[in-house]
Amino acid sequence: MKFTFRRGVHPAGNKEITKDLPLEDFPTPEIVSIPLSQHIGAPATPVVEIGDHVSAGTLIGKASGFVSANVYSSVSGTVKELAVKRTQIGSQCTHVVIENDGLYEEATLAPLSPVTAEGVKTRVAEAGIVGMGGATFPTHVKLSPRTPVDVLIINGAECEPYITCDYRLCIEKTEEIFKGVDFMMLALGVEQAYIGVEDNKPDAISALRAFESDRIKVIPLVTKYPQGAEKQLIYAITKRVVPEGALPSDVGAVVDNVHTAFSIYEAVALGKPSYMRAMTVSGRMVSRPGNFFVRNGVSYADIAAYCGASEETVKVIGGGPMMGFAQADLTPCTGKGSSSLLFLNHDEISDGDKPISACINCASCAAHCPMRLMPMFIERAVDAEDAERAKSLHAMSCLECGCCAYVCPACRPLVTSMRRAKKLIKEKGV
Amino acid sequence: MSKYIVSSSPHIANNRTVFGIMAEVLIALIPAVVASVYFFGFYALFLEILSVGSAIGAEALFNRITKREQTIQDGSAAVTGLLLALNLPASVPFYVPIIGSAFAIIFVKMLFGGIGKNFANPAIVGRIFLLLAWAALMTSFVKPIQWGQGEAFKYFRCILRGANGFKDVAAVTTATPLENLTKIGVESKELMPMFLGYIGGSLGETSVLALLIGGVYLIVRRIIDWRVPVTFIGTVAVFSLIYGAATGHSASLVLPSVLGGGLFLGAFFMATDYSTTPNTKMGLALFAFGCGLITSLIRFFGNYPEGVSFAILIMNIVTPYIDKAIKPRPFGYVKKKSEGGRK
Repeated sequence: MKFTFRRGVHPAGNKEITKDLPLEDFPTPEIVSIPLSQHIGAPATPVVEIGDHVSAGTLIGKASGFVSANVYSSVSGTVKELAVKRTQIGSQCTHVVIENDGLYEEATLAPLSPVTAEGVKTRVAEAGIVGMGGATFPTHVKLSPRTPVDVLIINGAECEPYITCDYRLCIEKTEEIFKGVDFMMLALGVEQAYIGVEDNKPDAISALRAFESDRIKVIPLVTKYPQGAEKQLIYAITKRVVPEGALPSDVGAVVDNVHTAFSIYEAVALGKPSYMRAMTVSGRMVSRPGNFFVRNGVSYADIAAYCGASEETVKVIGGGPMMGFAQADLTPCTGKGSSSLLFLNHDEISDGDKPISACINCASCAAHCPMRLMPMFIERAVDAEDAERAKSLHAMSCLECGCCAYVCPACRPLVTSMRRAKKLIKEKGV
Repeated sequence: MSKYIVSSSPHIANNRTVFGIMAEVLIALIPAVVASVYFFGFYALFLEILSVGSAIGAEALFNRITKREQTIQDGSAAVTGLLLALNLPASVPFYVPIIGSAFAIIFVKMLFGGIGKNFANPAIVGRIFLLLAWAALMTSFVKPIQWGQGEAFKYFRCILRGANGFKDVAAVTTATPLENLTKIGVESKELMPMFLGYIGGSLGETSVLALLIGGVYLIVRRIIDWRVPVTFIGTVAVFSLIYGAATGHSASLVLPSVLGGGLFLGAFFMATDYSTTPNTKMGLALFAFGCGLITSLIRFFGNYPEGVSFAILIMNIVTPYIDKAIKPRPFGYVKKKSEGGRK
């Protein structure tokens, strides 16, 4: 049986640049600027003042609602200022700027004992854990599904090109991941979990297999983008189809990333809140690519300097090349969702490769859409400002995975059109 | 100004471009072009060059006059020009491809907004226009030439007046197998020449072998969907089998129907045009079935011996309705609640 979904694309993986480089601690600079919005939902409220002394693991931002997350200091030192800065996704938010004293004194939460379902959920919320795959959705919300669930799916697909931090975690922190999965299963009350990994990562699969059991099975997924998209992954592993507008829990499933499982292990077993993460720095324009444990608040400029980013870099992407964000400069700082930072040259990106022309109606976009939408018609609807038509074409179901634009021979900016369509539908309230 | 390129995701793309697709189609047509020269001499190449040149020139001129961005570099005008030429008899005068291509590009493509916006296949409509405008020229087919007997340039004699350029017109012209099909029948020894292309017919349609090589290439390169040619040709085969059975010809009509006329040229190269065909696999299959059915109806019951062009044109017109009727259901599609259930 093949574990996969229908349609999708096969971009070049480019994972060989970093896949054999073990995780190492990234040397933290003297100043860190920790964003208070590192997650989907309301930004955290600052709870420190200028001049306060903090340790690594001191709460500096408090979750300001259910869909929000606590933010912790990643270093020990002194709070210098609260400054509004641009994040990697281009929005503005308050950052807590801390002068690192270099001592890395740690403040931990009391290890949970005994470990109970409620205890895990509370701890996950307390530790500020969010979806570490990059989506940064607060994990405690996912662990409190509105309907009963019977299966937990751990996403180790890592289908975006270049990124290898989850791969390294699977190999180097295998046992921790399994312990984290156990805690999650306890919290959700499920008896079955699957860890899905694309089959182009045999080393990760065999490492995980060493800990596999009937309760927690390792699933080799077909290597195809976007295998790690939530709905596609649920289908690939369980053949369950999440209905349009519904949540995974509506089909009895919860999906979380392998890194999230690792972070939950750290929070529950070690009392360590979420303030650092594994991150891949890659691309042909860095002389020292690698996989690093990076503390929150390290500026991209610091990463560029340490990894030897070339002056000739043409494009900097936070995240993967299919869904990541192009950076205008290197001022943004790392957060919980910073899975990778790529420094790319002209040959690695498509900008300017293809002349933009009118849609030739080849329907390639539709043929590759994992949600089975018709992007070319949605683009036409949004160009005509026809919100109703865009909605009837199911524009709201778009994942923005980029398959349509990836294959378009006319180089239409289809993903931008999909975003415009969603915005239009929301504005017109149809 | 940012030092780095800032643009929306995705930041990578595959290497297929519009020009790349058109270039693949042109490459796939090389065997048919070679066959046309092999069977009809260098006049065939001359007509093809005129047709391509006229198509590109017409598009360039149109863009210039209407002050639009130049589009000839996408290669689609060249494809239209070449396809139109391959649909012409080898004996048409020089002005026929020039007028036909210019008409096809301007009236069928550019006036509708250019590439991707036209509802009908320009080469098909161009051919039909020529058929109506110069019925005699467009339906007189000359015999293939004999190489090594000084015939390589034989049909240049048609350059001004078509087959009338020859003193003994009857000596150079021939009936196409399709014209004979239901009247006097096609003998089985004629089938191999039909497959290879050693018969009367349009420049590019006679050699099934050449078209098959190019067509399979397009399928392998994923430029066209196999469903279209397979369904189109299959439908014609099945229909001729049924018609043959009903009229006492038994199965003898099947192979000549499939190998004769413009079926392979139409099925692989004309009914697969992106703009004018449906957007779903199911829709394409239905489209191709309609093409096959209408082709057969015209051939067996109509006045014309050949119906591929008309069939494709009719199905081009139906295409928007096929797309309306057959829509892919999104992943996780939920049936809408009835109107009464809405707030």
